[in-house]
Amino acid sequence: MSGMATNLRVVRALGMRSIRQTFRRPQLMAPILVFPTLLLAVQTGGAGSAVDLPGFPPVQGFLQFMLAGAMMQSLMLAGNSGGIAFAVDIEMGFTDRLFAAPIPRFTIVLGRLAGTAALGLFSALWFLAIGLLFGAEIHSGVAGALIAVVLVTATAMAVGGIGAAIALRTGSASVVQGLFPLVLVVLFLSSAFFPLDLMIQPAKTIAEYNPFSFIAEGIRNPIIAEVDATDLLYALLAIAGIVVLSLVLSARALRHRLRVG
Amino acid sequence: MPAIVVEGLERAFDEVKAVQGVDLEVGEGEIYGFLGPNGAGKTTTVRMLTTLLLPTGGRAAVAGHDVVGEPRAVRASIGVALQEAALDPLMTGRELIRLQATLQGLPTAEGRRRAERLLERVDLLAAADRRVGSYSGGMKRRLDLAAALVHEPRVLFLDEPTTGLDPVSRKTIWEEVRQLNDEGTTVFLTTQYLEEADQLADNVGIIDGGRIVAEGTPESLKAEIGNPHIQLQLAEGSIAEAEEVCARIGRLLPPTDARTVLVEVANGAADIPRTVRALDEAGIGVESLELVRPTLDDVFVAKTGYHLEKENEAEQDAVAT
Amino acid sequence: MDRAAALPEWRANLATIAALMARAKNELLRVPGAAIPGVLAPTIFFLGLNGVFGALTQLNGFEVGAYESFVVPVSMLQGAGFTGAAAGVNLARDMEQGWVDRLLVSPAPRWVLLAGTVLSASARALIPATFVFAIALPLGAGWPGIDGLFVTYLMVAAMAAVAACWGSALALRFKSQSAAPLMQAGMMALVFTTTAYAPLALLQPWLRTVAEVNPVTEVIEAARQGFVGGVSWAGTWPGAVALLGLLVVLGAWALREMRRTAR
Repeated sequence: MSGMATNLRVVRALGMRSIRQTFRRPQLMAPILVFPTLLLAVQTGGAGSAVDLPGFPPVQGFLQFMLAGAMMQSLMLAGNSGGIAFAVDIEMGFTDRLFAAPIPRFTIVLGRLAGTAALGLFSALWFLAIGLLFGAEIHSGVAGALIAVVLVTATAMAVGGIGAAIALRTGSASVVQGLFPLVLVVLFLSSAFFPLDLMIQPAKTIAEYNPFSFIAEGIRNPIIAEVDATDLLYALLAIAGIVVLSLVLSARALRHRLRVG
Repeated sequence: MPAIVVEGLERAFDEVKAVQGVDLEVGEGEIYGFLGPNGAGKTTTVRMLTTLLLPTGGRAAVAGHDVVGEPRAVRASIGVALQEAALDPLMTGRELIRLQATLQGLPTAEGRRRAERLLERVDLLAAADRRVGSYSGGMKRRLDLAAALVHEPRVLFLDEPTTGLDPVSRKTIWEEVRQLNDEGTTVFLTTQYLEEADQLADNVGIIDGGRIVAEGTPESLKAEIGNPHIQLQLAEGSIAEAEEVCARIGRLLPPTDARTVLVEVANGAADIPRTVRALDEAGIGVESLELVRPTLDDVFVAKTGYHLEKENEAEQDAVAT
Repeated sequence: MDRAAALPEWRANLATIAALMARAKNELLRVPGAAIPGVLAPTIFFLGLNGVFGALTQLNGFEVGAYESFVVPVSMLQGAGFTGAAAGVNLARDMEQGWVDRLLVSPAPRWVLLAGTVLSASARALIPATFVFAIALPLGAGWPGIDGLFVTYLMVAAMAAVAACWGSALALRFKSQSAAPLMQAGMMALVFTTTAYAPLALLQPWLRTVAEVNPVTEVIEAARQGFVGGVSWAGTWPGAVALLGLLVVLGAWALREMRRTAR
């Protein structure tokens, strides 16, 4: 069998393992689905009249607007959970077993990320389903839904890369766990939950430059309007930026881990 | 009045019957050794006797009180050092014993006095203000024991008090248990170490598969087994042949390893010469030969069909890997 | 045991509760950074909600000047819910590690053991509440007056007790920390399916219906009084009754679960 095929098999096996791990442990699953769903419900119900504010973009309802925010929250928590699980693997010595195996090192990280991406995919489908179930239309139809799903999956993988890099670097589950609040900070300081123009200073200014605002808009755009190439392009660029950052951090962390043992 | 009376005690977890009809009686002032491998039902029995677990059948009384009907009275009469009862790593040893005194309803001043006395007794005074998290295994067990004694209980339950301890720490605990018993405390001790039961217990109960398979003083149990056995270590030749030869001399016992033959003999040392001759004639080389008088392990083998200590070692190996 | 040495029962019970609270204090004082998550979560929510949803006050029917004033009692109560649920998580950990056996084999009444956990949570909830309040004041939340602040703190302490009963009941039932998300999510749902984000009239119909029957709506309204207007007896007692009711129901459940641990 060729080297490439072997690598793919390794990535697949590790990816499957990390998905199973998540689905079997409610502590890992809850933050990814339950909390964002709960928050989606209370924010839609509680702040739903916001659509009447002057300057609110034309939407079918606040739920339609909020779907992208819920997906963002879910995918970032999936990335964080993946990082925690990876750090636990390091703490328990499971990764040592992998490092000792005759497989390229990057496949180990990639396996973890494949799992995170799958969770991202799952969460995108989950929230699209919830949206449809409670009457939110996907404005751009199937093609639009597909764009949203692809963006969510790619972002989950990119964010998961940062989680994995921090796990590799620190080797401590509690440190990665400690980043959990940071996820909320990053989201509150983006346009994930509210239109940028209606946000309050100083959050508004920060959100204008926050790459996650671009991604949120990219995911939201096909859900609430016709697909806009500019929004899509900005979202892809933002994701690419996060991917590059996570690659650099992961590579450095991997070298560090092998050096310190 | 006996300190502990157990009649037909049962406990099922869903379909699994962990304890199936245990009867036993422990006299006032006695040390009762409850012996059995992991999973035999030792801990389940202790949890029922200490009111932590409700029986699904039978009855039990501790210090004259029914464990189901009068749990509070039982709790006030017993001290418990459970195998897995955690010692809060954030507390200091002194804080822990004082908390235990409060839980037992002792006045603050009295609790403090007893805490100091007990810390001194188990040689932890110097470490009393250190956090339990920094204690060694032996120190933790001693602290746990001291905490169990703070209200001067009539009956003391010790669930595997020395499992995992080094020999020196083990001896320290044994001495403490003996002394407590001399002072009149009844002790119910579970263990997977035969030597521990042999050293400490007035009476021994062997539990296997949720049932008591033997009970009595260590001496009476050993006498019941009766005869000593010869233990042969083979240098060469097949074990099957050696067993065939030995079977003509006495009763074969289950071997402890692949190079050893155990044979029970009727006449003790007098049977050694003919054993050697028979092996020699069959051309089987012997590395060592010794006469072993019955131990509790032999009792165990006779009653359950396997060795307890080997079982434990295999268990520990499995944990280590 | 030497009977003469024993305390009268009520004093022994009080001493036990105090000792268990002293132990719970260690979790805070002896674990570096232990107080941070409990403080951080409500603080981030407070700042985030203001930055994101602050414009809601421009809506017709929103008669409050600053969204900060409207939201700060919510965040304080959220902190209480979080802290109380965390007490449940700690209890689950103590069960996993066997510490709870030590308590259960003691003759102390079961309600005393539960009270130790619940009252610790009440006391501990005052920390995030105070932190959020201290941040909110300079950011524009109105001064609630001494009476308003007192009512808010009372609601915070009782809410934490309610959450601790909920968390403890789940801990005693599942005997595992994997129940932690359920403890937290339950409290989050209870606190936020109320008038947390906006006044009743501005909620979406389904949430309005839920908020009208959710007793915590009364709690939030009572805790909010001083921040958005004046404190009155009429505005306070429904919240107090709601908390008392929750405390009785969830406390009874937790106690029942504690008595059933031997099953």
